[in-house]
Amino acid sequence: MTHDVIRHLLDDYVTGDLPEDARAPVADHVATCAACSAEVDSLRRILARASELPAAIEPPAEAWSNIREAILRDEKAVATPIDRVAMFRRRPMVMGAAAAILVAVLSSTVTAIYLNSRQPSGVTTVRVADATPATLAAFTIEENNYLRTAAALQDVLDQQESVLAPETVAQLKASLRTIDEAILEARNALARDPSNKLLVEMLSANYKQKVDLLRRSTEMTRGT
Amino acid sequence: MKTSAVVSDTIEPFPSTINGDTTATLDCIQRARAGDVGAFEILYKEHSGRVYALCVRLQAGDRSEATELMQDVFIKAWRRLETFRGESAFSSWLHRLTVNTMLENARSDRRRSARVLSMEDTSLLPGAARSTSIDLKMDMEEAVASLPRGARLAFVLHDVQGYQHQEIAEQLGVSVGTIKAQLHRARRLLRDRLEGSNEGFDQ
Repeated sequence: MTHDVIRHLLDDYVTGDLPEDARAPVADHVATCAACSAEVDSLRRILARASELPAAIEPPAEAWSNIREAILRDEKAVATPIDRVAMFRRRPMVMGAAAAILVAVLSSTVTAIYLNSRQPSGVTTVRVADATPATLAAFTIEENNYLRTAAALQDVLDQQESVLAPETVAQLKASLRTIDEAILEARNALARDPSNKLLVEMLSANYKQKVDLLRRSTEMTRGT
Repeated sequence: MKTSAVVSDTIEPFPSTINGDTTATLDCIQRARAGDVGAFEILYKEHSGRVYALCVRLQAGDRSEATELMQDVFIKAWRRLETFRGESAFSSWLHRLTVNTMLENARSDRRRSARVLSMEDTSLLPGAARSTSIDLKMDMEEAVASLPRGARLAFVLHDVQGYQHQEIAEQLGVSVGTIKAQLHRARRLLRDRLEGSNEGFDQ
C-alpha cells in the first residue's frame, strides 16, 4: 500500500476498526513514515482527551421542577403512595374530591362498555374475564366505601398511635405503604385495561386488606 | 407483597434483570411506569448528569439549549416508559432517546434541518468558520463545542459516548462512510484547535 492509501486508513488503524489483514502493512508504514507516525500520535492524543471528558455534568437545579410540572399534567401521573396516605390523613376533604374523580373515571368506563355492548353482534369481542357494567358500578360504590372507611380509620389511628410501641407504628406504616403501592399499581393497570375483571377483583382485595389492617391497628390502640 | 406481585405479573411481566441495571433501578422503572412520579425522580437523579453532559455536547456547549433538550428527553422518557423493554440498559435507552429528541427538534427547525450532517454545508456553519481563523489553544470541551454540527455529532457519539459506526449511521439516517468522514474531519479540526497545529494531511 502506498502512503496516499495508508493515510486514509489511519483513523481506523488508531481506533482498532481496521481489518486484521490490513493492520500489518499500515503498522509497517507508520514505523517508517514520520508524517504518518506524527498523525497517529496526534489522533491518539485526541482520543485520549475525549475519554477524559467528564461522563456527567450537573444539570440546573430547576430542571427537575420543570419536568415534574410537565409530567404531572399527564393524566397518567399520580402522587406517590406515601403522598396519597398523607393526603388522606391531613386533608379529609381531598378524599371526597378523589372519590368524585374515581366515580367519574369509572362512570366513563361503564358508559364506554355500555355503548360497546350496544354495537351489533360480531363487532364487540367480549372476553371471559371482562368486567361487566354491573361489576364496575358495584365496584365504584365499593371503592368509595373503602376510601371513606380507610380515611376514617386512618384518622383514629393517627390520634391514637402514641399508645403503640414505636416499632409497631413503624411496622404498620411500612405495611400500609406496601398495600398502597399495590393499590396504586392495580389502579393504574385498571386505567390501562378498564374492562379487566381480574384487576377489579385484585384492587378490591387490596382495599379490603388496607381497611382490615387499619381496623386491626385501631383495635390495638384500644387494647382489644 | 404478594398482591402487588400478582398485579404486576398479570398485567405486564417485567424482566427480572436488565442489562446493567440494578434491582433498585428496575424497581423504579416499574413504579414509574405505573405512574409513580417519586420513582421517576429517583431515575432522574441517577441519570440526569450523564444525559445532561450528552445534551451539552450535542448542543455545542449551549447550557440553556442543553437544559431544554434534557427536559424534553425526560418528559418523553416518562411518556414512553411503556416502550422500554429491557433489551438494553436503561441508560442506553435514555441516550438513544436524547439523540432522537435532538434530531426531532432539529427537524422542526428549518434553518438547522437543512444542514444536519450535510458534508457540503458544514463549511458554512459558524463552527467551521472558526476552524480556519482560530489560532488559540482551546480546552477539549470548547473545542468539541466549536465543531461543525455533523462532525460534532459523529465525534460525540463515537469517540465520547462509544457508539459503533453502524449504530450512529442507523440512528442519524446516514451511511457509515459519512460518519467516518465526519469523524476524520472532527479529529483534524480538534487537533488544530487543541494543539494549534495547521499542518497535516488535510490542510
